[in-house]
Amino acid sequence: MKKLYGNKAVITTLILPGILVFMFAIFLPICMSVYYGFTEYSGMGTAKFIGLDNYKEILHDGAFGKSLFNSLLLALGFIFIQHPLAIITAAVLDKLEGKAESFFRCVLFLPNVISVAVIAYLWKFIYNPDFGLLNNILHAFGQKESVNFFSTENAIWAVLVVLVWHGFGWGMLIYYTGIKNIDPVLYEAAAIDGSNTFQTFFKITLPLMKPVIQINVTMAIISALKQMETVYLLTGGGPGNSTQFAANYLYQQAFKAFKYGYGNALGVIFIVICLISTVLLNTIFRKKKEA
Amino acid sequence: MRKKLIATMMAAVMTAGLITGCGSDGGKTTSGGGSSSKGGNETITLKLFSNLPDRKNGQGLVEQKIIDEYMEANKNIKIEVEALDEEAYKTKFKAYAMDDMPDVVSIWGQPSFLDEVLAAGTLAELNESDYSDYKFVEGSLEGFKKNGSLYGLPRNTDIAVFYYNEKMFNDNGWTVPETYDDLLSLSDKINDAGITPVAMDGGDGWPMAIYLTDLAFRIEGPAVADKINEAVAKGDFTDEVFSDATSLLVKSAKAGLFQKGYDSQDYGTAMNLFTNGQAAMFYMGTWESSMATNEDIPKDIRENIRVFVMPSVSGGTAKNTDLAAWNGGGYAVSQGCQNKEEAIKFLNYMYQPDKLSKYGWENGVGLSAQDQTSYTTGNETELQKQIMSLLTNATSMSGTPINDCGPSAFKTVIESEIQNVSNGTTSIDDFLLTIGKSCQ
Repeated sequence: MKKLYGNKAVITTLILPGILVFMFAIFLPICMSVYYGFTEYSGMGTAKFIGLDNYKEILHDGAFGKSLFNSLLLALGFIFIQHPLAIITAAVLDKLEGKAESFFRCVLFLPNVISVAVIAYLWKFIYNPDFGLLNNILHAFGQKESVNFFSTENAIWAVLVVLVWHGFGWGMLIYYTGIKNIDPVLYEAAAIDGSNTFQTFFKITLPLMKPVIQINVTMAIISALKQMETVYLLTGGGPGNSTQFAANYLYQQAFKAFKYGYGNALGVIFIVICLISTVLLNTIFRKKKEA
Repeated sequence: MRKKLIATMMAAVMTAGLITGCGSDGGKTTSGGGSSSKGGNETITLKLFSNLPDRKNGQGLVEQKIIDEYMEANKNIKIEVEALDEEAYKTKFKAYAMDDMPDVVSIWGQPSFLDEVLAAGTLAELNESDYSDYKFVEGSLEGFKKNGSLYGLPRNTDIAVFYYNEKMFNDNGWTVPETYDDLLSLSDKINDAGITPVAMDGGDGWPMAIYLTDLAFRIEGPAVADKINEAVAKGDFTDEVFSDATSLLVKSAKAGLFQKGYDSQDYGTAMNLFTNGQAAMFYMGTWESSMATNEDIPKDIRENIRVFVMPSVSGGTAKNTDLAAWNGGGYAVSQGCQNKEEAIKFLNYMYQPDKLSKYGWENGVGLSAQDQTSYTTGNETELQKQIMSLLTNATSMSGTPINDCGPSAFKTVIESEIQNVSNGTTSIDDFLLTIGKSCQ
C-alpha cells in the first residue's frame, strides 16, 4: 500500500478528478468572469471588449457601495450580537444536561432547518403593518399608529434581525460542539480550586474555544458578504437600495438589467473582497496565536 | 512492476469512470434547438418555453388547452412545455439565448426586453401578411417589430385600472372619482374609515412605474409616448410632464393613498389587502380581471369588483376615454430551432382568432390583442363587460409603460428609484436625473 501511494502515476490519477472538478467548476468560471468583466455584454450575442470601463463605473456606483456597507453592518451584527449570544447559549446548554439539553438544542437549531423561502415569508408577515404579528403586539400595548418595519430607515435593521436570528442556531451548534470537546477534567480541577461559573467560563471555556471562534467568525464574515437569498426574498434589496447586499446587487445587474459584463466585474471585485477578508482574518488570528 | 501496472490501470479506469459518469445523461440523447425527430414514425418534438407556470388557471390553462388540441389534431407533433414564472423565465431565457433556445418562446414586445434579444439575433422573422385575417388590434404588432420586420405576436391588451369594491363604496356613500383631486379627497374619507384606500404593489417597482405613466398620460395626452421615447433616447427627463407626474405620485403617497409600507410589499400582499376587504381599491392591469371568478375570493367581494381608469388631472389634456394600455406579452419562434416551419405553424395555430383570443375571453383572463367582440355571450361577469366597454370606447392608448421603454438597465434603475422618490428618500429632481443617466 505504501509503495502504491509512492507511485507518482497513481497519485496523479487519483487527484486528477479533483483537479479537473476544481478547474472546470471553480477556476475556469472565475477566469471567464475576469474576462467578461472587461466587456460590455448583455448575456446574449457578442461581448464587446471595453477594458477597465466596468471597474471605473463600479467606483462611482453608489448602490454597490451601499451594498458593501450593508454587508459590513451584517458582519458586525454577526460578530457582536449573534456570536456572543451563541457562545453564551451554547455554554448554558452544556450545563443543562439530560432531556432539556437535547430539547433546547433542537428548538434553537430549528430556524436553520426551515427553508429560506419560508423564513422570508414568515418574517414578511410578522413585519406587515396591516396584519403583522409585531404590530398587533404593539397595538395590544397601546400603540396606535402601525410601525412600518420596512421603511427606508428601518428596513436594514429589520433584515439584520432576521439574518442574525436565522443564522444563530448554526453558530450555536458549532460552539456547543466546541464546548463538548473541552476535557471535563479541566472543569473538575477548576471546581476543586474553587472557581465559580463566570471564572470557569472566562478562564477555561472561552480560551479553549479560540480555534472554534476563529472559524465561526471567518464563516460569519464570508456569509455576511455572500448574503443573497433571504434579502432577495424579503425585500429584494428595497425600498430603493436600502437593504441592498453585494451578491443580490450582482444578480440584479447581471440577470435583470442585462448588464452581464458589469455583473461579472462586480463578481470579480466580490471575489477579491472575500479573499482579502479571509487572508486578513487568518493573519489576525495567526498573529494572536503567535503572541 | 506488475502490481504497479495493475494499480495504475485501476486508477485510470476509476478516473475514466468518474469523468464519463459525470458526463452521462442516463443514455438519453438530445438534439440541438430543443427539437428531436424519431426517424420511424417521424414524430416532431417542439419545445415551448412559457412564462405561465400555472397550467390549471388563467392564461396558462388557455395555453395548455391549445397545445393539447394541436397535438390531438397533429398526431406527429409532440409539444413539451417548460414553464417558469416571469423573473426566473427571463433569467433562463438569457441562458437559452447562448445555446439551445426552445422552439416557441414567450416574449415581451417592449424595448426593455426585446431590444437586447433582437440585437442577439435570437428570434425568427415572421411574415406579417400571414396575419392579415387574424384580427389583431391596430397598432398591437408595433412593439414586436424592428426595422419593419415582425419577430413576435402579442397575446394581451393590458389596461391599467383601479379595481374597486362597489359594495364597499355604496355602503359608505363613496363615489367613483371624476378627477385626481376627487381621488385624493376620497382617499382621506377611506382612511378616516380605517380602510386602506389603494393597495399598491410598490415592492416590485413596475406597478408604480405604470402609475407614473398613467399620470403622465393624463397630463400630456397621447403625445406622452413620443416624449417618453425622446427622453429615453436623450437620457433627459427634464420635461415638465415627468416632474409634474412624479410630484403627483409623491403627493399621493404622502397623503396616504397607498397602504403603509406599500414600497416594500409584493404583488400577493397588495392583492390580498383588496381581496380580503382591507383595501377599497387595487391598482393593477386588466390581466387580474379573473378575480371576479376566483372562488378563493369571498363571494361578496369578488361579485362586487368593478373598475375605473385614472381620473383626469387638473390641467391635463387626456380624455377619460384615453387609456393607459399596451400590448405586452406574446410569443415568438427562435431563429436557431431545427423545426422552424413546424414551430411557426403551431404559433399561427395558437393565434387563429378562435383560439387564444376566444378561449381567453371564455375564461375571463383579460383582453387579448385580437378583436374579441364577436365572442360576447351576455353571460360574462360585470367586470368583464366593463373592461370590454373601456376598450371598445377607447379613443387612444398610451403604449408601453415608461419602465419598459428603455434598455433593461433603465428599467432596473427606475423600478428601484421610484420607490425612493415616492417615499421621499430622494427628491424629484434627483430621481429624474438618475433615471436619465441610466439610459446613457
